[in-house]
Amino acid sequence: MKQYDAVVIGAGNAGLTAATALQRGGSKTLLLERHNIPGGCATSFVRGEYEFEVALHQLSGLGTEDRPFIMRKIFANLGVMDKVEFVQEHQLYRIVVPGEIDTTLPASWSGLRRQLQSNFPSESENLARFMKLCETITLESFMMLPKARKANDEKMLKASCPNYIKYGMRSAKEVLDEHFDDENLKTILAAYWCYIGLPPSEIPFPDLAAMIYAYAAFKPWHIKGGSQAMSSALLESFMEAGGEVRFNCGAEKILTSGDKVRGVLTEDGEEIACAAVVSNASSIMTYNELLDHDHAPIAVREDFKSRRMGTSAFVIYMGLDCTPEELGVTSASNFICNTQDEEAVHAGMLTMNAPVSGMLTCYNFDDPSFAPEGKSIVSLVCLQYGDVLNDIPEEQYAQTKYEFSEKLIDVIAQTFPKIRDHIEEVEVATPLTMMRYLNTPDGAIYGFKQTPQDSELFRERIESISGLYMAGCWNNMGGFQPTYMAGESTARAVLKQLKSEKEELENA
Amino acid sequence: MPESKKNVLDVVIGYQEAVKIKEELAKTGSDFSDQKWATANTIAKLHPKRLTLEVSEVIDETESTKTFRLVSTGGPLPPFQAGQYINLFVEIDGVQTARPYAISSSPAQRDYYDLTVKRVQDGFVTHYLLDHVKQGQQFLSTSPMGTFYHNPIFHGQDLVFLAGGSGIAPAMSMLKNVFDNGLAHQFHFIYASSYIEDVIFIEELRELAQNHDNFKLTEVISRPPEGYQGITGRLNADLIKELVGEVHNKTFYVCGPTPFNENCQTQLDSLDVESRFVRIEANGPPKNPDQLNHWPDSASMEDEVTITITGKGSFKAKAGEPLLNSLERNGYSAENACRSGECSLCRVKLVSGNVFNPPEAHLRVSDKQFGWIHSCVAFPTEDIEILL
Repeated sequence: MKQYDAVVIGAGNAGLTAATALQRGGSKTLLLERHNIPGGCATSFVRGEYEFEVALHQLSGLGTEDRPFIMRKIFANLGVMDKVEFVQEHQLYRIVVPGEIDTTLPASWSGLRRQLQSNFPSESENLARFMKLCETITLESFMMLPKARKANDEKMLKASCPNYIKYGMRSAKEVLDEHFDDENLKTILAAYWCYIGLPPSEIPFPDLAAMIYAYAAFKPWHIKGGSQAMSSALLESFMEAGGEVRFNCGAEKILTSGDKVRGVLTEDGEEIACAAVVSNASSIMTYNELLDHDHAPIAVREDFKSRRMGTSAFVIYMGLDCTPEELGVTSASNFICNTQDEEAVHAGMLTMNAPVSGMLTCYNFDDPSFAPEGKSIVSLVCLQYGDVLNDIPEEQYAQTKYEFSEKLIDVIAQTFPKIRDHIEEVEVATPLTMMRYLNTPDGAIYGFKQTPQDSELFRERIESISGLYMAGCWNNMGGFQPTYMAGESTARAVLKQLKSEKEELENA
Repeated sequence: MPESKKNVLDVVIGYQEAVKIKEELAKTGSDFSDQKWATANTIAKLHPKRLTLEVSEVIDETESTKTFRLVSTGGPLPPFQAGQYINLFVEIDGVQTARPYAISSSPAQRDYYDLTVKRVQDGFVTHYLLDHVKQGQQFLSTSPMGTFYHNPIFHGQDLVFLAGGSGIAPAMSMLKNVFDNGLAHQFHFIYASSYIEDVIFIEELRELAQNHDNFKLTEVISRPPEGYQGITGRLNADLIKELVGEVHNKTFYVCGPTPFNENCQTQLDSLDVESRFVRIEANGPPKNPDQLNHWPDSASMEDEVTITITGKGSFKAKAGEPLLNSLERNGYSAENACRSGECSLCRVKLVSGNVFNPPEAHLRVSDKQFGWIHSCVAFPTEDIEILL
């Protein structure tokens, strides 16, 4: 029987960073991937002359070379900084509510304040106060709060996190309402809610604050060659360090002796022995299907009961035979909403009704090399819960997909009216497509619904099965930066376990 | 958090209320155990990884063509979009290989898929299918896939299909789709064959053309018998223009042997048909890769090279043979489907050495950097090592 220190199930973002950190940390690691390519959603596909980015819209957490932020350090530790090239986006986004709002925000913390203050002079002081709050609460929740929690020191928390104490548990909507009167300004500032998937009334304020602050201060980024380039670079680094990978080979079972991991049974029927398993599959699948127990451990079942299934997405990938300029693109990221009522947008995500809001990302706006010369690559996205497709008979699936596509294009065409005249390639991904390629329940793209209660502030680390670790968006936030970081931190926990087991053996 | 332990977060305003909300959620929530295998089952309805098929009937179409009617011995056949193919796995003389064939039957019924197969000169699999496959024989295949189909988002309703020889298979399915589902498409089918004896489905097509105003059939024969009255010659720009009239704002589908496809592309280009109106079906690896740009001067098709598979073994192969084919002949397997460079399923990592990647390869930008190739259209122009 083949033996490894750790087996990583799934080569998504967290699986790749976990495997790479484990192998580079000295543990012998096997990476299993059911698909034929690394990346999970961090991938691309080719149609005709176009290579379409599947999922990455704006990479956060990188910072500039002069002012680096955490992801630069993590990528450096994973050995990929010399393997990939990053491209900076110069705007946060353009947000359009036809007839009411059409604003483009710069990717600069001071520039953002200046612009909003000049657009909304009556809110000038409120903006200064709000932005200061976004900055300080982000620093508090990422730097000081974890320390105070670790020390379980109330005094420390009070002294170091005054803003978090006041605003940490409030919704983004409450805090926006408290600061501003102008509804348009609130809509503009809340636009990133769709990167979390819940309307501002349901997301914790620190989450929105962190996105606004981090994207503006540390910039949004693309990766040359798309997120696939990062996935391939991580795999390369993993293999250079001696890691072994198997593609077209999913895990069939996680094998245990009692409550301790002993190995993995592969799809091909091979048993592999290991001390630790890192699962990049959904926690639901990991515990209810992969684990060789009849029932998930009681702590897991209790944890699941307060979770709710998160959103999936409907995406149209388009190759256009015109330049971004000809299409009228002035910013890579665009939010187009027919209403300022985010609750209504979210309610629509639970139906097959025409979407009232959509996003367009133009990948070759900031770097022309992302598309063939004279052409453009765009993605049209609206979030949608996967269970809306449950009742569609399979023979009606294709037609349903195309009909809904037309409605999403209608939303986007209000701002980019020429889009339909230039389509050279189209591929449509529905929540079922996400389900097929990500293997997540209901095609969820960010894991569970990211309510305040989903946060790890309300969760204990589940250690029911010794040696089994979860890495991905099902126990952490969704999105690229959070999942890259989740894999890296999970690897640290595994390395610690492996080290202490080794020491025990040596001392025995 | 356990009640007994003091939680530092209790001082955060609203934390305790939020904990209560979590407790309420737990009362009405589920442990998701009722959804066991739901994801796998949903995916299997639309995209099962493998179909188990049995030949229910073999229909002689012409001297060189048969239709194999395939029924499922497993679950229901998944729906497909007219024009799509399945990759049929076969074992011939101990070699496990596969070929993609377009489904020629209507997507309006899913009792069976028809594969219409024409003998390919110097072919390997078509000879086997035409000469040896009988009713009752069982096969594995992929589920339907491919991007050669009518996409209502941008193809419009005015459609012209240029088919050469066996390229008629996807056209038949698209045509039946129009009639069976009552679509408002105008469908002009221009069917080019070498000899009148080779013309497949012609009676059925003529009858359909008589009965449907939105279907126009044009037969073109390149090597007519003496005294033949119909249209003859090769498809060229003038003929296409004459047959179709206004060429703009019509979507052209092209499916046939590679030279036919290349000729149609050239003719449509010369008519200034924009590329967004032209859909050409992929058709296997190039037969003469050494004639293409960037084929290394130092290499010849007949060069013998060594293929090493990391940790598994090695064998000799010809530079002019697609890597996937030589792998299969030597008992190795890689997942595959389109065998034309498009689907990316046969992606393997090149550890050392170089291969020639023709334009068909459709590699990702980062594949070139990290050495990933599509083995179905990769030609090993020197000794290589790959990872399977």
